[in-house]
Amino acid sequence: MGDRRRRRRLAATAAAAGLMFGAAACGSGSDAAGSSDPNTLEVWTRSNPDDAATYDRVFAAFTKKTGIRIDYQPVITFDQQLQSRASTKDLPDVMINDTALMGSYQSQGLLKPIDPHSLAGGDQITAKSWSSTVGVDGKHYGIPYSRQAQTLMIRKDWLKKLGLKAPTTWQEMLSVAKAFATEDPDGDGKADTYGIVAPASAQNGYAAMWGSSFLWQGGAQIIKPDGKGKYSPAMDSAAAVNTVTWMKDNLFCGAKGIVQPGAITAVTGTATNFQDGNAGMYLTGPYNITTYDTTPGRKTYEVVPAPAGPAGGDVLADGENVYLGARTGKDRQELALAAFLVSPEGQRIAMTSVDGHQPVVRIPVNSTLDAAEVRHDPRWSVVQKAYETASEQFPNAPDFAPIKQDTADALNSIFTYCGGDVRSQLKELNDTLAGDLKDQDLLK
Amino acid sequence: MTATAPALTARRAFRKKAVVPWLFLAPGLLLALVFKFWPMAKGIWLSFFDVRPFLGDRWIGLDNYTRVLTDHRFQEAIGHTLVLGIGQSVGAIVVGFALALLLEGQARSLKILRTAVFLPAVTATAVVGELWRLMYYPTSDGLINSGLHFFGLGTVQFLDNPNIALYSTMAMGIWIWAPYNMVIFLAGLAGVDRSLYEAAAMDGVSLGQRLRYVTLPAIRPALMIVLTLATIRGLRVFTEVYVLTGGGPAGSTEVWMTRAYTLGFTRNDIGGASAASVVLLCVTLLLTVVVNHLRTRGEAR
Repeated sequence: MGDRRRRRRLAATAAAAGLMFGAAACGSGSDAAGSSDPNTLEVWTRSNPDDAATYDRVFAAFTKKTGIRIDYQPVITFDQQLQSRASTKDLPDVMINDTALMGSYQSQGLLKPIDPHSLAGGDQITAKSWSSTVGVDGKHYGIPYSRQAQTLMIRKDWLKKLGLKAPTTWQEMLSVAKAFATEDPDGDGKADTYGIVAPASAQNGYAAMWGSSFLWQGGAQIIKPDGKGKYSPAMDSAAAVNTVTWMKDNLFCGAKGIVQPGAITAVTGTATNFQDGNAGMYLTGPYNITTYDTTPGRKTYEVVPAPAGPAGGDVLADGENVYLGARTGKDRQELALAAFLVSPEGQRIAMTSVDGHQPVVRIPVNSTLDAAEVRHDPRWSVVQKAYETASEQFPNAPDFAPIKQDTADALNSIFTYCGGDVRSQLKELNDTLAGDLKDQDLLK
Repeated sequence: MTATAPALTARRAFRKKAVVPWLFLAPGLLLALVFKFWPMAKGIWLSFFDVRPFLGDRWIGLDNYTRVLTDHRFQEAIGHTLVLGIGQSVGAIVVGFALALLLEGQARSLKILRTAVFLPAVTATAVVGELWRLMYYPTSDGLINSGLHFFGLGTVQFLDNPNIALYSTMAMGIWIWAPYNMVIFLAGLAGVDRSLYEAAAMDGVSLGQRLRYVTLPAIRPALMIVLTLATIRGLRVFTEVYVLTGGGPAGSTEVWMTRAYTLGFTRNDIGGASAASVVLLCVTLLLTVVVNHLRTRGEAR
């Protein structure tokens, strides 16, 4: 009996092995071309097909100019895919992804340090942009590629109808929001309009991203660098308490209709009220300009700087960096590509839309270019000015994801429970943030 | 295993016979191995590590488990998961059973109706979530709130009130899963001996008695299957919550799996997320065994 069973098991193993071999033979081959040929770079971007069409034009121009071929992969689930590639120790040569991911990637050892002086045309990138790519050890781990800053989109037809002006301070913004909510700006006789769009869900950290502009305008910071590579949490400061209290009392727990209904469970994807024409203001990134030009329509709204708070008008700035994968052995080709991407020519191609595809560079990092001029659209100068003169970035050196998520969780909770005590809730957040920093050995 | 096959056959023929079933099984086994058991084993393995794919994982023993089990957000999630899981399962079973009783039969109109009722179970949860977001819209424009408005009631913040959001999610869950349960119950009801109903009718029993003493005992196996499936589903509930509320507002609908997801994919803590999933796996396994044990004991009786 035992003998028989063993033979049967053997047969099963053989069958399974045979099939597995077949499957493995089919599976290989896709990544063989990229890694062996030194004159081909594997490039990943976190893009949907629409953005990818623009990147295709950029890389075609590069190949034409230098003869270096690009194996281009637009990846939507970028981080999951990157983790699985990292576990095989074979990274893409060049990656273009969010600035906020630098700390995370660097701490995982995925990135190659970069000397700004070794990059042709690196001196055309402003010091402000370069400063955002410094890692915890003081070296640069990314090359700035595209930048953007939040601006206020506001319905100018509604303003005109109600005889109002675009707000320049928080107080003015609040009274405009009240007027939008109560004075029937769309003239349909129904109370179905709202003041401000707020994606304030904690999901993916949205509450922290949208709320960060308010924090800076109120003089608060989430974490504070000590200048020596360490950080301390700063959400228990008086400025933070005042700002968050103001937001809670006036936006979420005050008069009805100041923010859109469902704001505390809204993410940017579901907060479509500006587009749907039932909310009048939205502090958001310029990538929405293309969308809003279709609906509610280019003529109906304008782009203005964010209203200032007690400490100024700083808004959240972010964007994309070019990252070079660690240990790929193609430094020369990678730097050539990076130099092309930040050159006036490369940036110009990426900023123009062909066949209606979305441009991939918002504000150029190349200081010789002017966004409004390249795009023939004066509204972009508002965005560029906001980036250059009144914007802050999240600190990119630490792995910011846990910090952002914990801040979003706390803000969302504060805005949900109107009866809660802001000071003690922020104190609790501060302790959590200290824990996050300690996990990364970055706590001062 | 066909070990009882006549052992007297010639060896050669036997060898062939031994290989053939395995050959037929091989594709399925292989798929299960590659896509189920291997990732599962890997997940369990990773739960003991500080996962750093490129730099190499670091063994940290039970640290991930300690961290997950002592995290107050996970502890809160246990409560939500239980409330949501039990409420959704019981609700979906009761509604599913009621639907099955109403829609049992051969008439053509019933067939059409059954198909219509079954639709939620085959619709993508993401689509259902979007649909319910619209229905729950917190002004009188929302479908449900306009209904309440019609009866002179005020608007309800279905998803934005942290005291209600979990129950709103539960209602959607029941809506999705009741038809699924209905189909299993229908199959069970079809197997009930008609003469039992006739006998009951002759004895002059009430509707309640008929359900209690004839229908329920007869569909006991179906009920057990539904219960087992619902328990497992209830514990690892994820999509319904993720698409409807994302765990919000203020974490009031955060369940075990959404927490594990946030840990793994927003915070890049794959080790912690694996540990959380393994804990869930153990609990699910335990519950399944218990339910099965109760079932066999019940059947033996």
